[in-house]
Amino acid sequence: MNAQPNQETTLSGITRWRFTLVLVVFGCLLAAVLVRLVMLHTVDQPFLFEQGEKRTVREEVQPAMRGMITDRYGKPLAVSTPVVTLWLNPQQVNVQQLPAVATDLGLSTRELVRKVERAASQGRSFLYIKRQVQPELAQQVLKRRIAGIYGDDDFRRFYPAAEVTAHTVGIVDVDGNGQEGLELAFDEFLQGSEGSRQVVKDLYGNVIKQLKVNAVPKPGGDLALTLDLRLQYLAYRELKAAVSQHNAKSGSAVLVDARSGDVLALVNQPSYNPNNRASLRAENMRNRAIADLIEPGSTIKPFTVAAALSSGRYFPGSEINTAPGYVRVKNKTIRDHRNYGVLDITGVITKSSNVGVTYLAHQLGAENIWSFFSKAGIGQATVLGFPGEAVGSLPYPEQMDALRLATVSYGYGLSVSPLQLAHAYTSFTQGGCRNPVRLLMNNQPQTECQRVMPAKVARQVLDMLETVTSKQGTGSRARVAGYRVGGKTGTAHKVGQQGYEDSEYTAVFSGIAPISSPDLVLVVVIDSPQGKEYYGGEVAAPVFSRIMQQALRLRQVAPDDGSVPALQMAGGPA
Amino acid sequence: MLWVVVLMSALAQVGVVHWHRVLLQVWQQEDALRAQLLQEHTRLLLEKSTLTAHGRIDQQARKQLNMTEPGKVQVLSQ
Repeated sequence: MNAQPNQETTLSGITRWRFTLVLVVFGCLLAAVLVRLVMLHTVDQPFLFEQGEKRTVREEVQPAMRGMITDRYGKPLAVSTPVVTLWLNPQQVNVQQLPAVATDLGLSTRELVRKVERAASQGRSFLYIKRQVQPELAQQVLKRRIAGIYGDDDFRRFYPAAEVTAHTVGIVDVDGNGQEGLELAFDEFLQGSEGSRQVVKDLYGNVIKQLKVNAVPKPGGDLALTLDLRLQYLAYRELKAAVSQHNAKSGSAVLVDARSGDVLALVNQPSYNPNNRASLRAENMRNRAIADLIEPGSTIKPFTVAAALSSGRYFPGSEINTAPGYVRVKNKTIRDHRNYGVLDITGVITKSSNVGVTYLAHQLGAENIWSFFSKAGIGQATVLGFPGEAVGSLPYPEQMDALRLATVSYGYGLSVSPLQLAHAYTSFTQGGCRNPVRLLMNNQPQTECQRVMPAKVARQVLDMLETVTSKQGTGSRARVAGYRVGGKTGTAHKVGQQGYEDSEYTAVFSGIAPISSPDLVLVVVIDSPQGKEYYGGEVAAPVFSRIMQQALRLRQVAPDDGSVPALQMAGGPA
Repeated sequence: MLWVVVLMSALAQVGVVHWHRVLLQVWQQEDALRAQLLQEHTRLLLEKSTLTAHGRIDQQARKQLNMTEPGKVQVLSQ
């Protein structure tokens, strides 16, 4: 026994201080754990919570479906359809599995692998594989369950009528933002609003918990246009044929409902296919019928004549001496084609006499001509809300000296867009009272019409316009079998570097049918026709005739020239 | 007593979470179905507009049905 008597021992013979030491050590450990626990729950908690969320909580954007654009009968002109955008995370994806994906999507395997490897080496964690993939195809890829490949819902825009309505409808970019035309003008309305929500996702990207809905997706509104797709198709076909036949630079045609002012067809050449973005060229995308200005040439003469008739000083039978076929105003000579001698007012229109309208304009004065023209909408914005809409120009009375007044009276020195010209012509068809033009079906109610001339004068001018398409008139090739049609030809020299060009023309025909009860107004503009034919009566009038003939038939307008006996259904009511 | 309440609320919590997930799953399936139907709808819409295109109808009427524009002579009888 060599135990030291002064050291206390426990019952089991362990020295007391060692026991205390162990207790203290354990106590310290416990305290350390407690402190750590408290630290984690209080001081570090926000950081840890955030890190946790970062790994599981995702902000998910739900794209809103873009509204449809339709024609007046609800036929689709622009439709969005759901597609899937495939992307991958280069950090997570196994390059060995990529060839299968590439063959599914018809991509080059080498290209894809190279792109992924480069992105991975740059430390990027996002790479588009292919955007806007057909959903079936995307499902096929996603079913392979390759780690790091994801699919997002997206929409793709289709234009069923392609180049026929391209200028009016416009185009969206790959992200679904309007770029041109009505897609741009009504972008916000069509777009709707995206939804977004907070969700918890597991490792495979499945949503397991929805935390919060920030916004519910709201689909965009539908836009109904006043266009009639059938008329649009045929106007496009005829215009295209004419532009290529005359080897012209461009062309436009505008068809307007003579009663309501609705735009039924609005076509341009050259056009583009909005479904194929690779082929876009800026010069083909301009809506020439709305955005381009032309000098209307002789197509303005009916307005000068209508102004004269409205003044009460002239009647359709009033005679004007246009001999000797030219007149000198200031230092310029205004010529007719030949010496027409004495013409009545109707004859001035039939023969398209520059001397005759110059005389009328000088008699009426600049003030009268200006106020009449601006009431008819010449040089006034049409306010369709279309991007790049041209306003046109009409000189103020104080800017018009004798020469300017004379040129304005036969359509030079002022500018209009083809749409404005068509709109101005509706003044004659609505009993002298002009309705605003409409391109959208839903902006009701119809505002009051603007009185341009007395109804009697409108009727007289219509009858004069009919003589233009008679055998002796300048627009005989605009005639339509079975119908009485009227119109006015125009051939304007184009403006070049040094004033008016001698051999560059704009051929215009602006007409109305049927004359007995006008239903349609059509303006055809062919820019720079090459070759022997360049007059409005030779180039634009035949296009007018072809479009009008089919359009009247499609709209089931009854023939009014008396040569076709009224049909009677056998056995039907008399 | 308090323990019982705590226990019950804990169980209810578990139940509600489960219910939430089931509902979410149903909703997701329905949403997927909606997307699918939407796609079907637009596809059919496009198909219809292609098939009823004016130019196509015009051509088929002329070629298959031998139709022409009405001329001046019209005889309609039974």
